[in-house]
Amino acid sequence: MNPIQTLKRSLWVFHLNTGSCNGCEIEIVATITPRYDPERFGIRLVGSPRHADVLLVTGPVTGKMIERVKRVYEQVPDPKVVMCIGTCGQSGGVFFDSYNLKGPIDDVIPVDVYVAGCPPRPEAIIHGVVTAIAKLERREGGA
Amino acid sequence: MTVQILRPEEIVERFRGAFGENVLEAIVKERKEGARKNPATNIWIRLKQEYLKPGIQTLIEISFPHLSVIAGSDLGEEVELVYIFSLYYGVRHGEYMVSIAVRLPKSDLRIPTISDLIPGAVFTEREKQEMLGVEVVGIPDPRRLFLPEDFPEGVYPWRKDETGIPDSMIKNLWQVKRPKERAAPPVEAKEKKGGVQE
Amino acid sequence: MNTGGKPGTVPYTVPIGPVHPALKEPVMFTFKMNGEVVESVDFAPGQTHRGIEWMGMRRNPVQIVHLTDRICGICGVSHSLAFARAVEQIMGIDVPARADYVRTIVAELERIQSHLLWAGVAVHELGFDSLFYLAWRVREESMDVIEYITGNRVNYGIVQIGGVRRDITEEQYPRIKRCLTYYRDLQDKLFHLFMNDASIRMRCRDHGVLSREEAIKLCVVGPTARASGVKMDVRVDYPYSAYGDMEIEPVMPDAILGETRGDVYDRIVVRLVEIGQSVEIIQQCLDHMPDGPVMWESKYPKLLSACKKAAGEAVGRHEAPRGEVLHYVRMDGQEAPATWKVKGSSYSNLISWPVMLKGEQIADIPIIVASIDPCLSCTDRVAVIRGGRREVMTKEELTRLSIEKTRRLKG
Repeated sequence: MNPIQTLKRSLWVFHLNTGSCNGCEIEIVATITPRYDPERFGIRLVGSPRHADVLLVTGPVTGKMIERVKRVYEQVPDPKVVMCIGTCGQSGGVFFDSYNLKGPIDDVIPVDVYVAGCPPRPEAIIHGVVTAIAKLERREGGA
Repeated sequence: MTVQILRPEEIVERFRGAFGENVLEAIVKERKEGARKNPATNIWIRLKQEYLKPGIQTLIEISFPHLSVIAGSDLGEEVELVYIFSLYYGVRHGEYMVSIAVRLPKSDLRIPTISDLIPGAVFTEREKQEMLGVEVVGIPDPRRLFLPEDFPEGVYPWRKDETGIPDSMIKNLWQVKRPKERAAPPVEAKEKKGGVQE
Repeated sequence: MNTGGKPGTVPYTVPIGPVHPALKEPVMFTFKMNGEVVESVDFAPGQTHRGIEWMGMRRNPVQIVHLTDRICGICGVSHSLAFARAVEQIMGIDVPARADYVRTIVAELERIQSHLLWAGVAVHELGFDSLFYLAWRVREESMDVIEYITGNRVNYGIVQIGGVRRDITEEQYPRIKRCLTYYRDLQDKLFHLFMNDASIRMRCRDHGVLSREEAIKLCVVGPTARASGVKMDVRVDYPYSAYGDMEIEPVMPDAILGETRGDVYDRIVVRLVEIGQSVEIIQQCLDHMPDGPVMWESKYPKLLSACKKAAGEAVGRHEAPRGEVLHYVRMDGQEAPATWKVKGSSYSNLISWPVMLKGEQIADIPIIVASIDPCLSCTDRVAVIRGGRREVMTKEELTRLSIEKTRRLKG
């Protein structure tokens, strides 16, 4: 399947919190509200992973959440893009040495785009989505 | 409210009167902050283990306290539980922080539940069971609260002895997938300056 | 968990969660339903348990301050303020008065943004999305000012042991005052939009009731307690930082509406009025800002060695947007504290859910769960087990049920 044909417009995003501090969560919600308004590009949050094209994952993956992360990942239909938002999902951030963390996220599920920051600004998150689209386009060009 | 407001010293007196020698420690501290330095009162009381419930009963008779949380520390031979209350809330600048501490020997880590006196205590008592390995006798809901279901039995995160978190359980997230040739973390890199850069 | 296994058996069990696209902790609920009515509720938090206290017992206080920022992304300053106050009491140092005022200003700006965030989320749960967007748009003003003062939108990193890391200079006052004027002008409009809307009133009045006695017994805190008529507000009762110098009173629903019912509606009222109260507190702080330094010791090595010498125990408290935050710290002359216990405000409030939800309809679950501001709705994926057949209900469907109910009520 050619991913870019399916994902060319209106990226729908599902957001999964795997134990983050909420900082990224509110920035993600702030991203979809009128100041930044990505809905004009068709980017919007949906309530079910089954409707999503993009999976936004935040947090360092706690012990209770690891199985759920895998399940949600499998529920997102292909083709899909996984974005890891926030530093703690990438390297643990301030939570680098805990006993109850099973992350980082790319150790649990494959990640396509990383957005660094603790938490990243809404602009950075939008840039991340744009990067994801560009990555898909490159993939198309190469194939 | 027509509750008679006691001064902090009078509260300590009430405890000393009721429990005498069994009050091991009672301190009143004041903290002054801001430009006007209005004092905020903290009362620290330490009781013998078996007088915890009568102590809380005494506090309830003074005025129904708000239980904030039960804190707990591993002191080596003993485990200390600190019941932190606030008394006389709703009075402008009149609230006291009252803490009642008890120490339990590690050979017998049992403490009666206070949830019959203060129903809101169940939550924090459940947390003490899983985090410190204290057995709360008579707790209406003994299940785990925060730790996952597959967390090993007999491991208590806040303990500092052999029942604490073993090193094998710690996952250093920053090390995962770190390329082997990448420089070691800063502390070690300092010792072998130059050599590790490659 | 299916009771009996026969189709149509009542009560049936409804597990909700733990994955939801909203905020803070994913929580796992199990509802026992009798038709549409909730009979009993059980819930399991801890999906986001990161072992923060344990990590803190391996770090020094200055490092922990940055960890406390990240306990909760919304209460960014509350936890670090409470922790810093506890450590300062153990060290026996006095924070410069100006630092107390800067802390208070940032804490109140945080309250404004947090309450607006919550107000938006609450009406979103009711299906009133235009107001959700409006609330979040006006929230950006406070975010801008927070960023202007601290340099960060979230996780401000302004509090340090012994003071604050950045001063608020004279040149910054006009921008802050402009923000205060903005919210003052908006106050009546916001209040009108939320409180005079027929559907909000119908969905929230007399739903999720928590009586005063139950609130006291269950030890709930913050706006949840105040909405039930328990007069408690750490800022007023227990003077700390600059709050001791302020002329403030706890916001109680009976003073505004003439009665206290302890329902969702009262909780909305309390939070909306508190936005106005925060504006006045910031105004008072700016008017009476004392001069002087903002750090007890600005050289970090000196600060750290002073931390290392400290021994003793102390409690730091702060009224966060959601209620009392409490940090218990015990230090014994080591680099890391011997004990660190964090009590967030939702820690005290979650326990009131079973009482509030009992006897309510399934469509009311989102707004009642959100009403204590638990760091958002906990109703993403609901699996309904009806007679052995497992249907998975998404948060979307649950919200849809909620929206349909609003429509039904509007007739």
